[in-house]
Amino acid sequence: MAEVTVMVPDGVGLHARPAAVFVQAAARAPAEVTVGRPGGEHVNAKSILSVLALDVGGGEQIVLRADGDGADEALAAVEKAILDPDAARG
Amino acid sequence: MSASAPGDETAAENSGGHVPPSTEPGAASTGELAGRLAALSVCTPVAGRVLAMVEVPDPVFSAAMVGPGLAVDPMRAPGTAVSPIAGSIVKLHPHAFVVVAGDGRGVLVHLGIDTVQLDGAGFELLAQEGDAVEPGTAVLRWNPADVEAGGRSPVCPVVALDAGSDAVSDPEPVGRWLTAGERLFTWA
Repeated sequence: MAEVTVMVPDGVGLHARPAAVFVQAAARAPAEVTVGRPGGEHVNAKSILSVLALDVGGGEQIVLRADGDGADEALAAVEKAILDPDAARG
Repeated sequence: MSASAPGDETAAENSGGHVPPSTEPGAASTGELAGRLAALSVCTPVAGRVLAMVEVPDPVFSAAMVGPGLAVDPMRAPGTAVSPIAGSIVKLHPHAFVVVAGDGRGVLVHLGIDTVQLDGAGFELLAQEGDAVEPGTAVLRWNPADVEAGGRSPVCPVVALDAGSDAVSDPEPVGRWLTAGERLFTWA
């Protein structure tokens, strides 16, 4: 299992549009991908409902985990989607 | 004497008794809901004119990246936004909320585009997170005319979350005027 901690950029956080870009990046990966707060419960990063309910704000730290085929690549892709959603939307 | 038909159960035959429950390959891994659920009527949260999602002036909503659905161009007058379905409010912001039905299906209502930037100004919450709601239950008050006067689109996407592109059935025709709480589309 691969794991990385990322700071969500200042601003609106993982709300509707950035969340959609994030979830699409996760959904493209064959690996299982989850997201949660440090020490908190993890949810399926491929579910827009779960990510919206997590309600991550700008400036918050989140932990991304991936397990299975291409776990490292999956983490790189979802991290990029968080840090630069406009580029990841492509 | 054997009536068994080898090869009929291609998924199970070499599984060693460990058959994944999903019937649609990939459905679980994309976050889409698997299996058959009852048709769910999704109502318009605001009074206004039906718009296709592709007409929403935002590239992420219009590409249905948040999910499939319809949008409503609201009447430019102070109004109440209501719940589109029966369920529980799992997330409530001044400019957007998510209601999840008992079967787990969630609908996002987004009140205007880029309205997160208003930081709640002009929105009055009438409900709280965790509240049980029915279709038509008042959730908040706002004024689409003020949103527009501030230079933002007041168009409201109504989105079926974690749904496949074929989730929206029998949509109300684009251009039709609806009052808040009238059926907008059916989530098949």
